[in-house]
Amino acid sequence: MKSTLKAIISYLFFLVVTVSCTEKITINTGETYVRFVVDGHVATDTAAYEITLTKTADYFYNAPSPKVVNAKVMLSDGDTNYTLHETEPGNSGIYTTSPSFYGKIGKTYTLSVQLADPIGGSGSYSVSCALVHVAHLDSTKAVFHSEFGKNGAWEILAYAQDPANEVNYYMFNFYRNGVLITDSIHKVRVSDDKLINGSYFNGSVLYLNNSRDDEKLVPGDRITLVMSGITKEYFDFVQQVQESGFNIPFFTGPPANIVGNINNSGIGFFAAYSNSYASAIVK
Amino acid sequence: MRFCTVVFTLLILFISYCSAGDEPDNTSKHTISGKVTDKSNGEGLIGAAVFIKELNTGTSTNSYGFYSITLPVGQYSLIFSYIGYHNSITSIQLHQDIKLNIEMEQKHETLKEVEVTSERLDKNVVKPEMSTFKMDIKTIQKIPALFGEVDIIKAIQMLPGVQSVSEGSSGFSVRGGAPDQNLILLDDAPVYNASHLLGFFSVFNNDAIKDVKLYKGDIPANYGGRLSSVLDINMKEGNNKEYEVDGGIGLISSRLTIEGPIVKDKASFIVSGRRTYADLFLGLSSNKALHNNQLYFYDLNAKVNWEINENNHIYLSGYFGRDVFKNSFAGFKWGNETGTFRWNHLFTKKIFANFTFLYSDYLYNLGTPDGNTNSFVWNSSLQDFGVKGDISYYMNTNNTIRFGISITQHAFNPGKANGIGSQSYFQDYVVPGTQAIESAAYASNEEKFGNHLTLNYGLRFSMFQSVGPTTLYHYNSNYIAIDSSIYKSWTFYNTYTGLEPRLGAVYVLNELSSIKASYTRTLQYLQLAQNSTAGTPLDFWFPASPNVKPQVADQVATGYFRNFRKNTIETSVEVYYKWMNDVIDFKDNAQLLLNKQLEGELRIGKAWSYGAEFLLRLNERKLNGWVSYTYSRTFRQIPTINNGAYYPAPYDKPNNISIVLNYQLTKRLGISANWVYATGTPVTFPTGRAIIGGKVIPIYSDRNAYRYPDYHRMDLSVDYACKEKPGNKFKWDLNFSVYNVYDRHNTWTINFVQDNIDPNVTYAERTYLFGIIPSVTLNFHF
Repeated sequence: MKSTLKAIISYLFFLVVTVSCTEKITINTGETYVRFVVDGHVATDTAAYEITLTKTADYFYNAPSPKVVNAKVMLSDGDTNYTLHETEPGNSGIYTTSPSFYGKIGKTYTLSVQLADPIGGSGSYSVSCALVHVAHLDSTKAVFHSEFGKNGAWEILAYAQDPANEVNYYMFNFYRNGVLITDSIHKVRVSDDKLINGSYFNGSVLYLNNSRDDEKLVPGDRITLVMSGITKEYFDFVQQVQESGFNIPFFTGPPANIVGNINNSGIGFFAAYSNSYASAIVK
Repeated sequence: MRFCTVVFTLLILFISYCSAGDEPDNTSKHTISGKVTDKSNGEGLIGAAVFIKELNTGTSTNSYGFYSITLPVGQYSLIFSYIGYHNSITSIQLHQDIKLNIEMEQKHETLKEVEVTSERLDKNVVKPEMSTFKMDIKTIQKIPALFGEVDIIKAIQMLPGVQSVSEGSSGFSVRGGAPDQNLILLDDAPVYNASHLLGFFSVFNNDAIKDVKLYKGDIPANYGGRLSSVLDINMKEGNNKEYEVDGGIGLISSRLTIEGPIVKDKASFIVSGRRTYADLFLGLSSNKALHNNQLYFYDLNAKVNWEINENNHIYLSGYFGRDVFKNSFAGFKWGNETGTFRWNHLFTKKIFANFTFLYSDYLYNLGTPDGNTNSFVWNSSLQDFGVKGDISYYMNTNNTIRFGISITQHAFNPGKANGIGSQSYFQDYVVPGTQAIESAAYASNEEKFGNHLTLNYGLRFSMFQSVGPTTLYHYNSNYIAIDSSIYKSWTFYNTYTGLEPRLGAVYVLNELSSIKASYTRTLQYLQLAQNSTAGTPLDFWFPASPNVKPQVADQVATGYFRNFRKNTIETSVEVYYKWMNDVIDFKDNAQLLLNKQLEGELRIGKAWSYGAEFLLRLNERKLNGWVSYTYSRTFRQIPTINNGAYYPAPYDKPNNISIVLNYQLTKRLGISANWVYATGTPVTFPTGRAIIGGKVIPIYSDRNAYRYPDYHRMDLSVDYACKEKPGNKFKWDLNFSVYNVYDRHNTWTINFVQDNIDPNVTYAERTYLFGIIPSVTLNFHF
């Protein structure tokens, strides 16, 4: 409902300011100190999970983030310890679990990082995230709406029973013929169960713009929807990331730093979540 | 309720005492009283000066045009004056109480006319009142306007000490206060959201408005409930002499007003309507998606008044306005309604009373059409019912006592959302509302000490009681709700009270200059859940509660006032300092909408502001307007925001210049120009970045550590009137206006955009709303 609301407001705003114009300008925002950044997750599927470690840069750095190499990265679920290895030692800044790793519902995963050189005044960082369960995704469906946009849009529906008596947060990812379409954090959809708690829901979770080649569906396409159970902290984090950077005086409050879960003023999020899949063929 | 009974009893006792006291005491003194009205239409003139030449003293009319002055037996010359009107001089022999109604005639802009101005127009110098600005609607109508749409709020934003919160917005900040610290009254009824179309237009239709007065400080004791200012707007009463029709056809809206007598000289009415049709242009757009959109607003003002007899006069007025947005996908509607019934009653010639019943409602609802799985409606509203009694006792030439009480019931419904239709999977979601009773009693006296010093001292007692039904959450020190209490209907679950002293002083140095000073304490029990700078129709008001203390402000101000050229040039310098406590702000990434635990998102702290305002106001025959310069600063300090360090408030724009001028070239041709300049709005910019999940994540500077580029803009307009023919009532005039003449690209917002092609590249992008915008409006009158 809130997303519908945001859509209405943005649309209204768009109508009102059809007279407005934008232009690129140069701004000097100075320099800031360097912070440590974690980006990665583990989930219930068996896979080699990648954790990317980087450093922050000045805002107009305009190059990939500086990598953090040669770190010692450990993962623990409270019972078992796992060591993560840098994919290209001393070069990639990407640390991976073994391909046989899978996360277990109910465990809390803690990632510990020992840095070769301290960043932001600290040589070690750690971060924890609980892996919460997710309801069973019964099925999915794609419905075409010719009235939305120039060439229409596909609405992706999810069918599942939200558990009563608990607060649930969901994330949705989407595959077309085995290729991940929601391939960056601002394309995934997150939702809470505020308005549907305990209901059987059959609502839309994503819209795909049929004008875009990377979103377009044709009959016969195999679609897969992934519903993930996530923590409130990760839900808030994704929402903040999706809203960040865009500032309309009407609707947005003062810009604020995104709250992650890394200690010692680190930036980013280490997430753990459970997945439930459903597939369908587009008709 | 017991409190009200006590106050009422005291009030009645006082009136009987004063009435009884009248007779024996006044053997040697008598009262002159009456109304001052416009000769052409019978409208009461507010704030007209009444000057007694022989005694070098005087008074002025109240907001109904009534005056009363008590003098010893004798022969007097009474001079009535009002800007834009010919003076009226009356000689009287005073040996009994006299009823003297005065009809004043408007000056017409004739070039030959030479006025001998020996009169006393120097009210602004002698009156114990500062930090105020009064404008009649004619002045406002001459100011060049965006899309030619004359707007009271946009005119207010050009006054010294007033800042617009964002380009095109109807929000304004007075002396560093937040936009929700302004009490906006339309015929005494509070208007909770003064914006149409996201603020590009205000809800006030200038055809229905008589005049406007802004109190930036030195707020009289009869007003309360907001920290920073009172904007008191009076609707026209309607011509009680003859029928009149006024209208206008503009680029985006049209207006029509009809007024006239119901019973000549006794009762009259006015009805005024306005409707925009900007959305018709959407049909012309090349973007087909825009064709089926409706987006418009309309409003209706109506008022009737009836002078029952010499001692009783009643007024009934109302406003109704709605904004509507609709397409196949969603609908959204919002607006205000207000209603006021007022009864003026003269208990004696010296005691003027007004009793008011008022109603105000702001609501919005939005939703998606029925029949889908995600169909829903969402409603929110705030309703007020209030009664007030205000009494002025014109005791003698040295004392004018005012007192009164008011009681308002507020009903808050911050948000209720529910699915509609059998297919919808949404459940009801209700943010608990509450009720409150806000009451106040006040008394003040305007007292003259000799010929130089006048004091206006008063005290206001205010009380705010929270009343069930509600669910009240309790928070721990980390602002997390740990518990809640449920209160049944009409349980009084919390009470705040406060004393608000008000003091103003004027020391007249000589005929043309004076020094003034004031101290004002104000309390505010309601605030707006608004986190953005410009504001939206979705902003809702929420009350003080056990978790939210009332906000308190103390303001001191002093100034020097000097008039020149027979009072046609008024100048003043005022300096002020304002301390605000228990002001609210929201935590980072606050969620305001559909949040049952909104109070957990609040952070409470303090704010302060100071400044100096320089004003030169011209009331020459051909040239009028004002030039002002303001230096002002305003800061906030709130725990957990900006790591507890103080930061500039969003309205902190240190340097501000406004020039508003109108020059009447010939009888038919007038030109107007304005120029505004303001330091850029403070803003938080990203200074660092991380890349997460393919997206550049900004890392921000301290709160409001940067500024947008400075704002400046010039507007021009030319008004060309038809030739007046004797005996022909039909008149028209054409107004050409140009907004932003030199096409300045003033920053509305700056966004930081991640490049589509190279996601490692980011750049800053400025959005500006209005380039140069010409418009034309045709006004007619018959």
